[in-house]
Amino acid sequence: MLDLFAYGDAGWGDEILQGLAITIQLAIATLPVGLVLGFMAAFASLSRLWPLRALGFGYTTVMRGLPEILTLFVVYNGAGLLLNMAVKWWNPEASGTDFSPFAAGVIALGLVFGAYAGEVLRGAFQSLDNGQVEAGRAIGMSKSQIFRRIQLPQVWRFALPGLGNLWINMLKDTALVSVIALDDLMRMTKVAVGVTKQPFTFYLVACLLYWAMCVLSEVVLARMERRANRGVRRAA
Amino acid sequence: MTQSDIILKAENICKSFGTVEVLKGISLDARNHDVISILGSSGSGKSTFLRCLNFLETPTSGTVTIQGEEVLVRDGKPQNPRQIEKIRARLGMVFQQFNLWTHRTVLENVMEGPVQVKGVSKAEARDKADALLRRVGLQDRMEMYPSQLSGGQQQRVAIARALAMDPDVILFDEPTSALDPELVGDVLKVMQDLAAEGRTMIVVTHEMGFAREVSSEVVFLHEGRIAEQGPPDQMFNSPQTDVFKKFIATVK
Amino acid sequence: MNPIEVITEYWPRLLDGTIMTIKLTFLGAFIAALVSPGLALVRAYSNSFAQAPLRLYISFMRGTPILAQLFLIYYGSGQFRPILQEWGLWTFFRDPFNCALLAFALNSTAYQTEILRGGIMGVAQGEVEAARAIGMSRIKTLRRVVFPHAYRIAWPALGNEIILLMKASALASVVTVFDIMGRTRQVFSRTFDFSIYLWAAIIYLCITAMFVILWRQAELRLSPHIEPRPRPRTAMQPAKEPRA
Repeated sequence: MLDLFAYGDAGWGDEILQGLAITIQLAIATLPVGLVLGFMAAFASLSRLWPLRALGFGYTTVMRGLPEILTLFVVYNGAGLLLNMAVKWWNPEASGTDFSPFAAGVIALGLVFGAYAGEVLRGAFQSLDNGQVEAGRAIGMSKSQIFRRIQLPQVWRFALPGLGNLWINMLKDTALVSVIALDDLMRMTKVAVGVTKQPFTFYLVACLLYWAMCVLSEVVLARMERRANRGVRRAA
Repeated sequence: MTQSDIILKAENICKSFGTVEVLKGISLDARNHDVISILGSSGSGKSTFLRCLNFLETPTSGTVTIQGEEVLVRDGKPQNPRQIEKIRARLGMVFQQFNLWTHRTVLENVMEGPVQVKGVSKAEARDKADALLRRVGLQDRMEMYPSQLSGGQQQRVAIARALAMDPDVILFDEPTSALDPELVGDVLKVMQDLAAEGRTMIVVTHEMGFAREVSSEVVFLHEGRIAEQGPPDQMFNSPQTDVFKKFIATVK
Repeated sequence: MNPIEVITEYWPRLLDGTIMTIKLTFLGAFIAALVSPGLALVRAYSNSFAQAPLRLYISFMRGTPILAQLFLIYYGSGQFRPILQEWGLWTFFRDPFNCALLAFALNSTAYQTEILRGGIMGVAQGEVEAARAIGMSRIKTLRRVVFPHAYRIAWPALGNEIILLMKASALASVVTVFDIMGRTRQVFSRTFDFSIYLWAAIIYLCITAMFVILWRQAELRLSPHIEPRPRPRTAMQPAKEPRA
């Protein structure tokens, strides 16, 4: 049994670890994209201009109502179509190119993460004590100073638990990219299953690896939350 | 008075939480029509004692006998849950925080016990609940939910809920402590009426007026023991112990 | 083809897929709803020893992708084919619909159990005591006070969970169940017309929107005591917050 997972040509250990590496890369690449989209969505929904508010509301509502796998296919196929059209327009002689599944994964997962993160961040901004912003204004801080020095550090504290959950969800959602042929953990497992005919064993191992990543994330997030709450505890 | 008049008899009740001994052997007899006020500073164990009487807390040792029926306890747990349930149905309880069921209307709160525990028909329970709510002055609040009532109104509903079970004894656990001062009067008035019609009541309270005017007997608990006990006139006019002297001096 | 032509030509397939999505989601949620109350009681009240296997199960279900769980059941069962055939279970596991339903029900059970546990923990201890003090049995207290309350507390979160399950049900298309997603991919592979995805998105959004409205209606009906009601004209003291 164990030699199935040996490292090297005989076993599948190295292939599966490569897949795991792709999964982790994908998740880490998605995080900043999703956070930026999330902040933009939060600002839009808190904006004083109604078209921006509508945009923010529309984006977060629609994205959260769609199955992640549908979003992935829309991005993968849709972006592929657009890319081909652009290439054809630039150079009618060129043959069709394929959109990178990795990029499609980052965009699709980022869009999903951003929609949920938008809601989390909006809630966090709204739960900030308005008096603190006023106090900042009272000593003559500029808007951006107030944002950076007062709001952001505290939003972080309010948003961290929610964002932590989103990170774990996104980590699990990366498994979807195996469907569009990115060689992540899930797909490498599938390849191994095809050869070894041991589906239960291999999918169980894949599950255990995802599980380990999630549990590890939870431990790290709990630490970060403790750190973020230091000042509050002391004050309480 | 004969032995048979005793409705509720608590003998040598002790209760510890972990290593903390809260009750150190308390005995009390309640006869028909008695109104017993239990006084004591906070931490004296008076609420715990009351909760031991209907086994919301199980005494560490000691016995409770209700109309000759002894509640059987073994290894710190009631031996027979059915017996406890039967006995609780005969002891009404009114809580400090009212503890109304917030998901049911006032009327439903009062009907719940008779219908669900005693198996009374809904129509009968409704008539009775209606009459009781009238008595506590809430006839126009029956279809409301507890969250829409003031604390004093909620507590009167809780009293009606206890009365609906036709209890042999009603236990009151600081029924006015969670109320705004101006709402205390209505609740005390209802309790006074109940005493006047001969209900047997055991009342843990901070209301000296009630203890003095209404009750037939006053028990003063101090550090888990009965420090002083007697009729209210004698207790308040010539307190015997220093601790009780100090107590009435501070609360007056 | 323009989007209108796509929908006029392929709507029967999408309708078929919509019915499959709804069937999969609600059967899965329903099975989980039958199992979770008992498990939630164990999570809320029993000692940590009895809880250990349950916590492991819930952690696993929450810590692994549903797609992986689905593959583990659908493909993984193949590894035990001889045994399953012997037990007469193979026909069950051969059908992708059954496997998807099983995976979703198992997954939703874990989430619903945790949500319901939160609800049970949220029931005020005093109300439980009042029920005990009036002589209600343990079972009756659960039935009349704890669960009615716990469900009202948990209701919005349970609705969210069902929406998440509906979205997850699209994964069944990967193991050849023809739900909305499955039909959409089928049509796309034939026509390469991108607009079919947009139609699928619209259907999913409509299902979600309708569900949200229905769920909210049910909540209003379930919790008249929480929704602010018009107050009567008689002077009334505001309810005082109970002291802790």
